Amino acid sequence: MAREQDLLAAFIELADTIVAEYDVVEFLHRLAARCIDLVDATEAGIMLADRDGALHYVASSSERMRLIELFELQHDEGPCLDAYRDGIAVSSVLSDEVSARWPHFAPHAREVGFESVSALPMRLRSEVIGALNLFSTSTEPLSAEDQQVAQALADIATIGILQERAVNDARVVTSQLEAALESRIVIEQAKGIVAERNAITIDAAFTLLRSYARSHNRLLSQTVHDIIDGTLSTDALNERTPSPN
Amino acid sequence: MFAGRLEPEQFTQAIAARSEQDHDPMSSLCLACTDVLDVTGAGLILMSGGRSLGCVGVSDEMTEEVEQVEYTLGEGPCISAFRSKAPVFDPDLADDGEVEWPEFRRGALAAGIRAAFGFPLLVGWICIGALNLYRDEAGGLTDFQVDDARVVAHVVGRTLLAWQTDAPPGALAWQIERVPSHRMHVHQATGRISVQVGISLADALVLMRAYAFSQDLSVSDVAAGVATGEIRFD
Repeated sequence: MAREQDLLAAFIELADTIVAEYDVVEFLHRLAARCIDLVDATEAGIMLADRDGALHYVASSSERMRLIELFELQHDEGPCLDAYRDGIAVSSVLSDEVSARWPHFAPHAREVGFESVSALPMRLRSEVIGALNLFSTSTEPLSAEDQQVAQALADIATIGILQERAVNDARVVTSQLEAALESRIVIEQAKGIVAERNAITIDAAFTLLRSYARSHNRLLSQTVHDIIDGTLSTDALNERTPSPN
Repeated sequence: MFAGRLEPEQFTQAIAARSEQDHDPMSSLCLACTDVLDVTGAGLILMSGGRSLGCVGVSDEMTEEVEQVEYTLGEGPCISAFRSKAPVFDPDLADDGEVEWPEFRRGALAAGIRAAFGFPLLVGWICIGALNLYRDEAGGLTDFQVDDARVVAHVVGRTLLAWQTDAPPGALAWQIERVPSHRMHVHQATGRISVQVGISLADALVLMRAYAFSQDLSVSDVAAGVATGEIRFD
């Protein structure tokens, strides 16, 4: 019963975090901490893939865990990498047979005190975004029930991360939209300034701005900004070629 | 018209149906709003940092006129919806209650509008602008209609961003780029006035708005006068 309450509290805490604006790294550190509270593991760590599919260390419950995650990445082998690549859970006791599977990782993990390791994919439908590592100093592998709990926590984290990425993508497009609209407006304002100063039509003003930009090898957007803030005089616009300097 | 509980697909189908009638994408978007919601007009403004970057789409002439009013005054339900990131309702512009947009009411009533509603265009936590909905008769939105309008505003925001996603770097999506030229005249006139008076562009826009208000003209009327030289500020 106590465990169910703890589980519920952990889910509520994680869900609460992802409905507001949040820091992914802090969120994953919290996930790692909750994992070792709730399942029979000594340490927990999380790796996430970048857009090119390469895994990176993101969070861990301790410095010892961080170092061993980095070791996995450095030697390109270990349970976390397997779980990520295959998209399925890995769980094993670090026996001598296992050492054949991870010739660098297994001896090193035992050296620093771990006896069993598990790794769960962080996956939403067909997309695997990373993996959750659960290492233990006990020779008992993670129970099926613990594995289920950890997978549920990993799933919630996955949804949170994917949601955050979608929002970030939207943020990038939003700023592109604003910048494009702003620059459109600024060009019109500069046309008005040049037309008024030179007593020419709007079209002639635009032609003048464009030919200045082209002949001076400058961007139109930069040229119109210079006109507006006064660093480029309208007289200088009439010069057809760059002044030698 | 749908009686509440609008599905996003119903709205996207309405947009497609309007496109098939040869309306440009932006008009199709605005017209589809009036098809699925119980309103007579719909207009879209884009905002950045609390500043209106202008109206980018309307469903009809009456909405065009009232959007001009809002842009001229710098007040109205759309601007309030953007600032508060929450829907804003003015179900009867002719009642004598206190509102944040008294001058907007006057101008909108003159244009033939009786009810106005503003919905923020939210993408995640970011607000990119607002959707204005108008009626030519007084009357509030039911809870269902408010929910429907939220669905519509959500799809509109997504659609604008989807268009912009496909635009070349630095350029405005062509669907949005097709802003009527009279809106661009306002910015050109701002440039001219800043030279005539020797003031900043921001001040020139304020001056033009104040002049329009005092002469009972829209900013775009004043801009047209500035373009021909009939109106000068020096």
